[in-house]
Amino acid sequence: MEYVRIAENRIGTVIGKKGEIKDKIEKALEVKLEVNSGEGVVHIENKGDDPLGGWKARDVIQAISYGIKPDTALRLRNDSYQLFIVNLCDIVGRSKKGIIRQKARIIGRDGKTKDHITELTGAVISIRGKHVAILGHADDAYLAKEAVEALASGLPHSVVYKSLEKKCAEQKRKNTVEMWRKR
Amino acid sequence: MAKDIWAVAHIYASFNNTIIHITDSTGAETISRWSGGRVVRADREESSPYAAMKAAAGAAEEAKEKGVFGVHIKVRAQGGHRSKNPGPGAQAAIRSLARAGLKIGRIQDVTPLPHDGTKKPGGRRGRRI
Repeated sequence: MEYVRIAENRIGTVIGKKGEIKDKIEKALEVKLEVNSGEGVVHIENKGDDPLGGWKARDVIQAISYGIKPDTALRLRNDSYQLFIVNLCDIVGRSKKGIIRQKARIIGRDGKTKDHITELTGAVISIRGKHVAILGHADDAYLAKEAVEALASGLPHSVVYKSLEKKCAEQKRKNTVEMWRKR
Repeated sequence: MAKDIWAVAHIYASFNNTIIHITDSTGAETISRWSGGRVVRADREESSPYAAMKAAAGAAEEAKEKGVFGVHIKVRAQGGHRSKNPGPGAQAAIRSLARAGLKIGRIQDVTPLPHDGTKKPGGRRGRRI
């Protein structure tokens, strides 16, 4: 039904030792995976009753392919988790040097910037090739994605941090208020 | 009333709203149209999964009254030079359609992708915040 194209050197990770991770995904989402390791294509067939199974499996495999650990990627089976993939080419353009520069800005010295965004939002970030994959709780991941896009488009770090901190605090407050209102 | 009609549910999940539009299989005749804004009061909640759920339930109800038995689903994000990931309402809407008793056929992503289109806004130093 669905198919995903994955990076050649991540095929091994998707399958795992003796198909361990493949089995895990199949069991968790009630799907059947068929990995074509020659072309790097995974075919997904939905087996269970959940109409979203195939979709989620696609997201999980895509997340693994873009460098997120399989165990983290499997968080996506929860409805409230979301995966965002930002293509740096869309923002920076085709210049190789430009992509390297903006990638460096997103990562920071010893991964400082990346870690800071992860710490503030709780979303996991993985940078691989021309793509940045962001996985997290729906609203948090969205904030992290916005921050990454802002950095890639050239905003200074200080501005991005400031606005991210403000937005995170606001969201936290909103969540607590809503929690009280519902009970 | 005809029975066993297969319809198409067009779900447009942006980050500001979720629109659920059920049409017949040609896409020319509307059966039901709902959006997140019909369900909630606050503007910023229009795109929430809760609003999408309620809107999809409403749309499913209306569709079932008109004899729809199952739906194929076409999900769409903003596309173009904007976000290509569907917003938070997409999954909730699909799940809600299934729970309302409609049979779910194929799920398709129909986000418009540019074959080189217009430029993303923002200059060298990005969009100022």
